Amino acid sequence: MPSSAKVLIVDDEERFRITLRKLLTANGLETNAVGSGREAIEELKQQPYDVILLDVKMPEMDGIEALAELKKISKNVEVIILTGHASVDVAVEIMRLGGYEYLLKPCPMDELLAKIESAYERKTARDERLRKAEATPTNPSS
Amino acid sequence: MREFQYFARNLYWYSATILTAGLFAALWLIQETAFAAAALGITFLSFVSNRALTRRVEKASEQKRHLDQQLIQSQKLAAIGELSSGIAHEINNPLAIIGQETEWIWHLLKKDSLPSPEADQELRGSLQEIVRQVDRCKEITHKLLDFARKKEPLIQKADLNKLIEDMARLVEKEATQNKIRIVRDYQQDLPRVETDPPLLRQVVLNLLNNAAHAVEKDGTITISTQESANNTVELVFRDTGCGISKEHLDKIFDPFFTTKPTGKGTGLGLSISHGIITRLGGRISVVSEVGKGATFTIELPVKPLRGEP
Repeated sequence: MPSSAKVLIVDDEERFRITLRKLLTANGLETNAVGSGREAIEELKQQPYDVILLDVKMPEMDGIEALAELKKISKNVEVIILTGHASVDVAVEIMRLGGYEYLLKPCPMDELLAKIESAYERKTARDERLRKAEATPTNPSS
Repeated sequence: MREFQYFARNLYWYSATILTAGLFAALWLIQETAFAAAALGITFLSFVSNRALTRRVEKASEQKRHLDQQLIQSQKLAAIGELSSGIAHEINNPLAIIGQETEWIWHLLKKDSLPSPEADQELRGSLQEIVRQVDRCKEITHKLLDFARKKEPLIQKADLNKLIEDMARLVEKEATQNKIRIVRDYQQDLPRVETDPPLLRQVVLNLLNNAAHAVEKDGTITISTQESANNTVELVFRDTGCGISKEHLDKIFDPFFTTKPTGKGTGLGLSISHGIITRLGGRISVVSEVGKGATFTIELPVKPLRGEP
């Protein structure tokens, strides 16, 4: 993978986090993993991430609630929902909250890597546009 | 002439009397006929309207039956929908781990033609994890099969105090280690109940096990049995555990509902218990508040009705 996206994995299944982290790291991505929505919020407050892989069904705070909070902390972070639970209602709610993609577990690694790559591209393009907008002096006549 | 006058006067009076009587008789007759006609009319009208009413009631009952059937059908479909999405979630998670472990094995094998000692260790770890996750899937599918397979209950007379005591002893060993006391309050002359003992044992064990998990350490589980109204017996399991929140109470008997950490509970125990008790012609209910423990009550008929289970 050409990019060096910084990815945060959020899933309550410990083994899932461990192996996915090893796989993403082996594919050249900088990764970190936490076990709950609340931990993800704390982690994002500490340092920026490009892409977050977020589970939906988690104890305490579910993925939808966490997504809304994560987007409040960092509007530009791209969130990919990776869940074992397929539901149209949930998918609609996720897209409404600004989720980038909704993937169903088990997801082939190639597909996941491609989604992360595309989310990262979108994130960098948006960051770039924001930087340009900030650098452009405002026209006093307008 | 006098005689004639006398006769004429008498005739006048006679005629007047007869005419008056006739008039009254006619009036009476008219009144009676009118009453009779009115009564007949009312009877006829009420007969007609009763028939119309009966027809409407029959039609309404028919519509209600139809709607009830539709409701049951939609409830069934909703239950299937919920069940399927629950199954999808429970099975997809272990499948995702299996998929990832396999990818990791491929990754390790691609790197070295002969795995290094570290890679060898990792390979074994991944394979063990795959076996563990397959077992997890197997547990879910087996419980689901139990859930789906409506075993025909085999009815036998049973002493429920004895049945519960056997299960309590089974749980007590581990409970004592966690300083959980099991208090018995059995009604000594409890009538023997016609039920399926192995199925009921499964329910009792599930409730006692749940109670022990809810208490965790230092607490009490109280079991009581008593005969209650309408020829039923009541089995009560009360614990001093963490209790169940209001929003969880509504879902407690739903398949796949669990508050246990992921991978630790399938959330099928109570829904299976609910199914068994219903099949045995009884009812299971729960009362609980967070921090105040939980009370599960089973009501069973001493003699199940015909066709039930």
